[in-house]
Amino acid sequence: MNGWFVAAIALLVGIVPLLVVAGTADVVSRLVALEVAGVQGSLTLVCLAQAFDRSVYTDLGLVLAVLSVVTGLTYARFLERYL
Amino acid sequence: MTRVLADAFLAIAMVVQVASCLGVLVMRNGYQRLHYAAAATTIGPVAVAAAVVTQQQLAEPGVKAIITAVVLLTGGALLTHATGRAARVSEHGRWVVLDAEVEAAS
Repeated sequence: MNGWFVAAIALLVGIVPLLVVAGTADVVSRLVALEVAGVQGSLTLVCLAQAFDRSVYTDLGLVLAVLSVVTGLTYARFLERYL
Repeated sequence: MTRVLADAFLAIAMVVQVASCLGVLVMRNGYQRLHYAAAATTIGPVAVAAAVVTQQQLAEPGVKAIITAVVLLTGGALLTHATGRAARVSEHGRWVVLDAEVEAAS
């Protein structure tokens, strides 16, 4: 187990508090938790790409980063108009 | 030496990201939590990209990690503002500064 694995595991563990917030807090806080979870997932994939020496996982991290930004903006717009 | 430097960058990223997640958990409302969301999109992605570049130089994984960090940095700033604005509009019905807030600031 090298440093990249440790980092990936730590980043995944960081998602647990976000799940708690997403399950219990108000709607704005849930959106914030979703946004941070997207960052965590993206960085986890980048670390796993290095850990497994497979650069294709970095592509997944990049795609997740782009999609999490778009998703967050969409939800924010929805929150502003309808919630 | 390269490996030690990469591990140091990774350690910085881990600490900052986990602290940001715990901050999101501990804070009382969405506005306070946004501060920690912003922190999670700045230092962590840059540190991870720096770790990858340290180990891989500017080969394919390094460039992709840099692009990912740039997307997370710029997108994080956008998201923080958009979420704060959405919360404010959702709370008050429109994008407005209240008289009480102007008085409190002056």
